[in-house]
Amino acid sequence: MIEKGKISAFQMAFLILPPILSTAILTIPAVTGKHANQDMWISPILASFNGVFTAFIVFQLHKTYPGETIIQYSQHIVGRIIGKLLGFVFLFYFLYVSSLIDREYADFIISSFLPRTPMVVVIGTMVLVCAFTVRGGVEVLGRAAQIFVPIYILTLVLFVLLIPDLKPENMFPIMEHGIAPSIRGAIQPSLWFGQVFLTSMLLPFLTDYEKGRKWSVLTVIFCMVAMVYINIVSLLLFGESVTTYTYPVFTAFRYISIATFFQHLESVVIIIWVMGVFIKLSIFYYVLVLGMAQWLHLSDYRPLVFPIGFLMTLFGIWAAPNMQELSKFIETIIPFLESSIFTFIPLLLLIIAIIRKRGKKKKGITHL
Amino acid sequence: MKWIMVLGITICVFLIVLYEWPKMERNQKKEKTSFVLLTTMGWLLAILLLFFPDMPGPTQMIDMLFKPLGKMLEK
Repeated sequence: MIEKGKISAFQMAFLILPPILSTAILTIPAVTGKHANQDMWISPILASFNGVFTAFIVFQLHKTYPGETIIQYSQHIVGRIIGKLLGFVFLFYFLYVSSLIDREYADFIISSFLPRTPMVVVIGTMVLVCAFTVRGGVEVLGRAAQIFVPIYILTLVLFVLLIPDLKPENMFPIMEHGIAPSIRGAIQPSLWFGQVFLTSMLLPFLTDYEKGRKWSVLTVIFCMVAMVYINIVSLLLFGESVTTYTYPVFTAFRYISIATFFQHLESVVIIIWVMGVFIKLSIFYYVLVLGMAQWLHLSDYRPLVFPIGFLMTLFGIWAAPNMQELSKFIETIIPFLESSIFTFIPLLLLIIAIIRKRGKKKKGITHL
Repeated sequence: MKWIMVLGITICVFLIVLYEWPKMERNQKKEKTSFVLLTTMGWLLAILLLFFPDMPGPTQMIDMLFKPLGKMLEK
């Protein structure tokens, strides 16, 4: 086995939490509010079904082929050539998603804090930090997540300071146009929930893998609750005008002002948010590098870390000419792409695996 | 100016090689090949992007594939 480290299921939960939550935490009210208006808090609940479903598929697949990642068992399920091809699709998509994460991070940092820093520097430094973490292996990643993620979640508690500004009447009427707008709003959050798929690369390294399913489902539920909470707070604060902000949560934190000296909390939020991006990027980076090494049947993944990081930086700059085009692309195209790769392909694999297993059993009986 | 950047990119790649190459053992042939291939790919892509920054990339490819579906979500 390439990776010798082991993590616990609890650490895995911390590792897959930032991928689901870290983009959502900034943009979800704007994204869901666009379609669902005042019903935006229903959308994450609907979207989380996709997460639970994906977690279930991935865990079943892992149960059928214990100790292997999706790159390895896809070759057992659909044969060598198609399996390799599928592996390539997964790896390319991991590379692409990490470049999008890079780019979103850089756009946000440049537009709100470092307007004159070149993008290469912003992306490059982040990738470098992640590269050293990834070289350390899955245990280092797990521990880093265990330290950072709880702090990251605690920031949500700061919303309590907004209570005097909240207007509950913004929430009504509930379901004015039926459930359809909420479903449309749920399409993009379901993309984030689909990232629970990352467990398919981490489950083989668990010390207590029976708990894997429990913890991945719990993570999905926790993320759902967090998103509903963020949506409700920003809805009550801004009303329907929330969709006009690119980063509503960030703006919400700017509103916090207690006794005129407890202000500018957004800078604290940024520090913490960068931590979230760090974990999110590292986990995608790790999965990409590990998958690549398994795909090429290498004995070690560490030599690939820096070359892939270099490629990732380039892809981040290459991803889109400007922010508007990128966000339109992420809103309209990525949901379909990601659900087909993270949910649909594993589902097909699972169905094929079950059919093949049945076929084998029947053959066994006739031979007897 | 661009040639200085080419030099910068080359130095970056050189540093990566310098850091990683001694760490690999002599019998790790496959690792070495994939490392060299990936690094060269990165280097070439960096130079290409420097001279043709508007080159159509993966985003355009995916956009072309999924355009019909994406229209459903446009508003």
